[in-house]
Amino acid sequence: MAELQMLDPNEHAVSGRYRLWWRFSRNASAVAGSVIILSVVILAVFAPWLTPHPKDAGMVVDFLHRHQPPSAEHWFGTDKVGRDIFSRTVFGLRISLLLVVGVLGISVPSGAVLGLCAGYFGGWTERIIGGLTNIMLAMPPLVMALAISNLLEPNLFNAMLSITILWWTWHARLVYNVSKSIATEDYVEAARLSGAGPAHILFREILPNCVPVISVKTTLDAAFVILFGATLSFLGFGVQPPTPDLGTMVADARQYLPEYWWEVVCPGAAILYVTLGFNLLGDGLRDMFDVGS
Amino acid sequence: MHDQPTTAIFYRLGSFALVMLGLAVTIFVLARVVPGDPARLALGPAATAEQVNALRHEMGLDQPLVVQFFSYVGRAIRGDFGYSLVSQRPVIVDLKETVPATLELVITSVVFMFIVAVPLGVVTARYRGRWIDLVGRILSLTGVTIPSFLFAITLQLVFARLFPSFPILGRLDHGLGFSSGPTGFLLIDGTLAGRFDVVADALKHLALPAFALAMAGIGQITRITRSAMLENQRKDHVLTLRSFGVPERVIVFRYLLKLSAIAPLTIMGLEFASLIGNAFVVEMIFSWGGFASYGLNAILQKDLNAVIAVVLVSGLFFVAANLVVDILITLIDPRLRHRGSR
Repeated sequence: MAELQMLDPNEHAVSGRYRLWWRFSRNASAVAGSVIILSVVILAVFAPWLTPHPKDAGMVVDFLHRHQPPSAEHWFGTDKVGRDIFSRTVFGLRISLLLVVGVLGISVPSGAVLGLCAGYFGGWTERIIGGLTNIMLAMPPLVMALAISNLLEPNLFNAMLSITILWWTWHARLVYNVSKSIATEDYVEAARLSGAGPAHILFREILPNCVPVISVKTTLDAAFVILFGATLSFLGFGVQPPTPDLGTMVADARQYLPEYWWEVVCPGAAILYVTLGFNLLGDGLRDMFDVGS
Repeated sequence: MHDQPTTAIFYRLGSFALVMLGLAVTIFVLARVVPGDPARLALGPAATAEQVNALRHEMGLDQPLVVQFFSYVGRAIRGDFGYSLVSQRPVIVDLKETVPATLELVITSVVFMFIVAVPLGVVTARYRGRWIDLVGRILSLTGVTIPSFLFAITLQLVFARLFPSFPILGRLDHGLGFSSGPTGFLLIDGTLAGRFDVVADALKHLALPAFALAMAGIGQITRITRSAMLENQRKDHVLTLRSFGVPERVIVFRYLLKLSAIAPLTIMGLEFASLIGNAFVVEMIFSWGGFASYGLNAILQKDLNAVIAVVLVSGLFFVAANLVVDILITLIDPRLRHRGSR
C-alpha cells in the first residue's frame, strides 16, 4: 500500500502501459489465472512434443494395457482401449482452446461491431439489431446448439458454428450499452463536428472505451465456451471419436465408475483447471479495470 | 414513457410475443431448410419417389415456405405441433407428459439457488474479507468453473457411496405404486392424493438433481448479490439510515436486501436459458425422464416436429421466466413502480 501511494503523485509520469502492468502484477487473481492459461497454451501448442504417447491421441489400441491406474509410465492411467489418458487430455485441451479461439474470434468482433453501430446510429439500426439480439438471447444456447449441430452433422466445426451463432449477442448487448452512453459525449460530438467519418468515430473514439468490458467478458466467456463445448461432446453432439475431447472422454469413462475413477477424474480435472484459469483472470481483470459485474 | 406498471407489463408482453415469433422463424427455417427433405426423412431411404411426393403434399411441404410457416404457427398456437416420428403420437401429448417433470426439477433448483445463494451473498458482503467471504468466493468459483455433468456425476458417486439409501436415479420409487395425477407434478399430485410418503420420496429424488442443476447459478447469484450489497451500502439513503442509528439488522433485511435483490433476479431471468440447457445434461445423468430427456432424444433421432416444439417450448420457458422476473422487480423496486418501465 505504501509503495502504491508513493507512486501515485508521479502517476502522469509513468506510461499507461506500465501502470496497467503494475496493477496487473499486484492482482493475485489475474496473475494466477494467467499462469494457468499460459501453461495450458504451452501444453496445447507443443502437445506432440510434450506428451509421452502422442500417438494415443488417435486410434491406437493396446488391450494389454487397458484400464491401468495412474503410474510413472501413465500419469493419468490408461483408458478402455489402453491409450495414455495424459496424452489424450493434453490433446483434448488443444481442441478446447481451438474451440475458444474459433468461437470468440468470430463472435466477439462481430458482436462488438453490431453493438457499436446500434448504440451510435440509433433509430432503425438500433431497433433491428436490438430485436435480433433479444430473440437470440431467448434461445436456450445448449438446446439450440444441440439442434443446430445435429441437424447439420455433429463435428468440431459445426459445434463451433452453432456456438458462434448464439454467442455474439452477449457482446453486442454489452458494447451497445457502453456505446449508447458514450455516443452523446462531448468528445464524440467534437470529432463529428470536425468532420470525422462514422468509421473513425466508431472505432477510434467509442471502441477504446469498450475495451475493458469486452476483455473481461471475453475472458470469462472463454471458460463458458470450454464448458459448453465439453457439455456438447459429453452429450455426443460435439467432437467425434477418435479425436480426443475432454467431454467425450468423461462420457466414455462414466460407465466404468467407480472402479476406474481416474478415467473420469483426470479429464474432468483438466476442464476445471482451464476454466478456473480463465475465471481467475477474468475476475482479476474486472478488479483492474473496475468494471461492474 | 409508460406511466403505469400495467402498461409496462403489457409492453413487455408485446415484446415477448415478438421474441417468440422470431424464435419460431429461426427454428422453422433451420429445421425446414437445413436437413433436406422432411418427407424423405420420415419415410426412410427405401421409399419410392411417388410415396415421398405424396407425403410431401400431405404435409404441405409443396407449398411456399411462408405459407407453411404461418399455417405452422397457427397450429402451434392451438397446441398442435404435428406428430412425432419416434413416439408416433402427437407431440403435444408427449409434451404434456414430460414438461411437468422438468418444471418440477427446474423450479426446485431455482428455489434452492435463492435459498443458498442470497443469504451467502449477504453474509459474504457483511463479513467482507473474513473467512466466510473466502468460503463464499471458493464456492462461487466452483459453481462457475465445474461442468454441470461433472458435478452431477460426482454427486451421484459420492451419495451412492456415503448414503446408499439415497436415490440417484428417476423421480419416484416404483414400489410406492403411484403414477402421476392431474398436474404431473409429483409434489402437488402427492399432496392432493394425501400420499405424503410419495411427497417425501419425490423430494428425496429431487434433492440431488436439483442441487446439481443449481450449482452454476449458486455461484453466479452469490457473487452478484455480494457485489450488489457492497455497492448499495454506499447509497445515500443507507448512509442516512445508519447515521440515524437504525439497527444494522433492520438496514440489511428491510432496505439493503430488497434493493440488492434486483440484480440477482435480473441475472436469474437471463440465466434461465442456460438452466434449461443444463437440465438436458442433468436429466440424462439422473434418468429424469422429463422434457429435456425427450428433447435430447428428439434431436438425436432428428424427429423434426418434436425438435421444433422442444425449442419453442424452451423459448417459452425463458420468456415466461423473464416476465415473472420483470413483474417481481417492478413490485420490489419503488422507483420502477412510480415511473413505469425503465
